Amino acid sequence: MKRFFGMSLTLALLVGFLVLLSAGFYWAAAGLGWGFNALSISFGWNPPGTVSTAAVSYGAAVGNLLTLMMVVLMISGSMLTVAERKWSALLQNRIGANRITVGGNPLGGIPYLLADALKMLTKEAAAPDVRNRLLFELAPVLAFAPVFCLFAIVPVGPAVDLGNFFGVAAAGKSVSLQVAQIDAGLLYLFAIASLSVYGTSLAGWASNNKLALLGGVRAASQMISYEVSMGVSLVGTMMAYRTLRLEEMVVAQGAPVLGGFPALGLLLQPIGFLIFFTSGFAETKRAPFDLPEGESEIVGYFIEYSGMKFGMMFLAEFLEIAVFAGVITAIFLGGWHPLVFEETLRQNLQPIWFAAVCGGAFLVKMILLMWLQLVIRWLLPRFRYDQVQKLCWKILLPASLVNVFVTGAAILIDPSLQLLAWIGLGTIIVIGVLVGASGRQAAATDGHAAHGAAHAGGH
Amino acid sequence: MAYQLDNRPLDLRERFYFPEVIRGIGTLAGHFLRNLFFSRDANPDILARPRGLGYSDNVTLQYPEEKAPYPPGYRGLHRLVPREDGSPRCVACYMCATACPAQCIYIEAAEVPGDPIEKYPAKFVIDELRCVVCGFCVEACPKDAIRMDTGEHAPPSLERVHQLLDEKALLRGPAVSYLSDPWLRRPAPSIPAEALAAMTASARPYPDASDEYAQTPGFSVKALAAEARERAERAGTP
Ligand code: SF4
Ligand code: SF4
Repeated sequence: MKRFFGMSLTLALLVGFLVLLSAGFYWAAAGLGWGFNALSISFGWNPPGTVSTAAVSYGAAVGNLLTLMMVVLMISGSMLTVAERKWSALLQNRIGANRITVGGNPLGGIPYLLADALKMLTKEAAAPDVRNRLLFELAPVLAFAPVFCLFAIVPVGPAVDLGNFFGVAAAGKSVSLQVAQIDAGLLYLFAIASLSVYGTSLAGWASNNKLALLGGVRAASQMISYEVSMGVSLVGTMMAYRTLRLEEMVVAQGAPVLGGFPALGLLLQPIGFLIFFTSGFAETKRAPFDLPEGESEIVGYFIEYSGMKFGMMFLAEFLEIAVFAGVITAIFLGGWHPLVFEETLRQNLQPIWFAAVCGGAFLVKMILLMWLQLVIRWLLPRFRYDQVQKLCWKILLPASLVNVFVTGAAILIDPSLQLLAWIGLGTIIVIGVLVGASGRQAAATDGHAAHGAAHAGGH
Repeated sequence: MAYQLDNRPLDLRERFYFPEVIRGIGTLAGHFLRNLFFSRDANPDILARPRGLGYSDNVTLQYPEEKAPYPPGYRGLHRLVPREDGSPRCVACYMCATACPAQCIYIEAAEVPGDPIEKYPAKFVIDELRCVVCGFCVEACPKDAIRMDTGEHAPPSLERVHQLLDEKALLRGPAVSYLSDPWLRRPAPSIPAEALAAMTASARPYPDASDEYAQTPGFSVKALAAEARERAERAGTP
């Protein structure tokens, strides 16, 4: 019981901390935006007393770069290395890493972070003589950097008018927790995500090692295959929200549909969600899609890497989890919308604090999704290679194409998204029935009926 | 607990794959939440830990701090059983050394001063590294003088010589006396008269099974047997 109350308190404090953290992020972004504005005035680029949109958004972008990418992404990436141990332990009825203690308290395994970093940094970097030097050194960076860049378009918090921060009239100038608001949006996402294949396949090639090469080839073919279904699975969402920009998608998800229920991507596009989740999971190259790594068969594309170079590849994988969680949150889970008491909060809180609550809600959803990915990673054994390719080309790709057509037809018939929401609701119910139908004998007959229904729902 | 595997081909619902994956997530999430919110029961008898809602599913034993009791009959580190007066029961008959298949017992016999008949081991060394833990020495001993009921396994050491246990290291644990012991029946000159009377009073007619392991501190065969019986009863009654 003591642990129950302690844990509940910890979780509540964590949520509160996340809200405070995003409030801090807002202040950082606004402060830097204001500072850049002042700077531009002092340089004489702008007349005194004005607020320039360019300067503010530039400053806010720098602030977000520091807070979101350095703090949120790096911390969640490195905390995931600890979570991988502790959460897997909790899933498997174990205790997990608890031997490094601070004052007798293992602190949930967090001190292992330091031990890991120390180990990685001080380890000998033994590189094979026959490597391709340039590509070998470049590969960890190529694996790491694209993942990092991806987070730039993830909208963590809503836009807040700059006037709220400094009490000056700055109409229309706003800051939000998003590094880059670009028109390309999702296209940027696909473009950068496909770049990360270079890191892994070049690592495999440059190591001049048969096993690494196998891993690299596997990584390349797997990631290129899943790119296709990943892209097609999001077409439905783009059509439903009529935009490529993630921040606009998030705003659109707040609109009520089906009697006040927000038009979440999950509701409108359950099949798209499943396909995107699966494909994205394959992109992160973790179990059950960890064939490029496959430590029990080929050790993987990083077999020749040691020390921090290996650490970079390792960390890149965890960063991918965090980024992927952020992207899914933005596209399918309503982004920064708190979803509960949203109107009450909006009316009773100051705009800054409402935005901070929204940012906190985003981070909570992101953490939940990272948790879900780790659960799946510990749930499923590795696929066979032909199964991986079959899943992509024979199941996910056709399903996502059907999804595109069904979504398009539904939007054509009813542009208010009501029909699409009903179809989505139907699909969710069918999936729920399929999940709930237990008992192997009974399931066979139920399965036939549900099978047809699922197809009608755009399966 | 063995599981009956049912190797039927997948039915249609299972071939959808997703429903079963989602169910699996549910199962794992249940474990996760239970282990997150409820603390671990440290009972070393893992099967007796409470289960169900409100309890953690954790089965870990934090080894160096918590130890599971060894099962009854566990052959631990040897000990030379002492008499009540602290001297070994061993009469240096070499039976154990002869029976030992690993030939790891070394005995040097000496005569008890002032006694025309009795011998004692002046040296009694067991090389625990060569010992194959077969227990033949215990079986061979006619005097119940060597036992493996300490419930300890060979401790780690940095040097081989530390695994050579001599008579000083071996002589420990609770004392035992039997009415048939020759030094009691034929008053031995090496034992003072009042000590002899006390030993005779505490002596038992013969060794029995319950006596075998029960006297090692922290290692109770009776408690284990009672627990096992209780568990069997619980499992038997639906
Ligand atoms: S247990 Fe077996 S091997 Fe070890 S000392 Fe006794 S007889 Fe020899
Ligand atoms: S321990 Fe037993 S068998 Fe071995 S020498 Fe002593 S009395 Fe004989």
